[in-house]
Amino acid sequence: MLEMTINEKACRGCRLCQDVCPTECFAYEAATKKVTVAVVENCIGCLSCAYICPSGAIAHRNHHVVKNFYRNIEFSMRMEKFL
Amino acid sequence: MEEILKKRRTLQETMNFMAALSAGIEPILGRGATSMTTAAGRNLGRKFSEKAKRTDDLLTAVEEVRHILAANHCLWGFEPFKPKGQEQLVTINDKGQHQLQLVFRDCMIRQALLRFGHPQQGSLCNMMYGFFAGALETIMGKKATLEIRHAGENACLKVLTVDA
Repeated sequence: MLEMTINEKACRGCRLCQDVCPTECFAYEAATKKVTVAVVENCIGCLSCAYICPSGAIAHRNHHVVKNFYRNIEFSMRMEKFL
Repeated sequence: MEEILKKRRTLQETMNFMAALSAGIEPILGRGATSMTTAAGRNLGRKFSEKAKRTDDLLTAVEEVRHILAANHCLWGFEPFKPKGQEQLVTINDKGQHQLQLVFRDCMIRQALLRFGHPQQGSLCNMMYGFFAGALETIMGKKATLEIRHAGENACLKVLTVDA
């Protein structure tokens, strides 16, 4: 199952991750002025939050990483019909 | 081996061209660019689904589209998405249309765009809209749209809407 963690010390509470997330995985805690993972089950693994975070505080584990198909020889063979 | 590497280079060049086309077609052709790529996708969807099993059930139809893509060696894997708290995969909107959220992970277009530094959600991304529209029109006999809700670096979230 996909795991997502936020490094509390690194989070500045800018809420960019909250804005970019299409499935509302994050919640903002006013008391600590930091963002937390509220609904990890909703995460689709788009990694937009990890890319946008200025502190690099968000990390994902056990997520699907897209294939670099153009470097995959087997896939290149399958694509022959389109070339 | 040399032959395979040659094909790989050709594939990379093709994807490079596609990415440049996607980034450049809209500034040149304007709003017509999206219509062109959508129409191309729709034609492809109709053509590929000619022999597909007909059904009224949206989930069965989406599975049929998946089989069509796999049978034609298209690397456009997707899966239905249900947010926590939502009871059914298929929901009905206020217009009475059936809606299903789909997550696209391995996508040839996204990979090519990011590889060459082009923005997402361009004209080529709308080709999938057309493909689903064409395929579902054939399979279900109903009008369908595929809206891009979020274009991410590793996955995209789209909403498939089918007329009641």
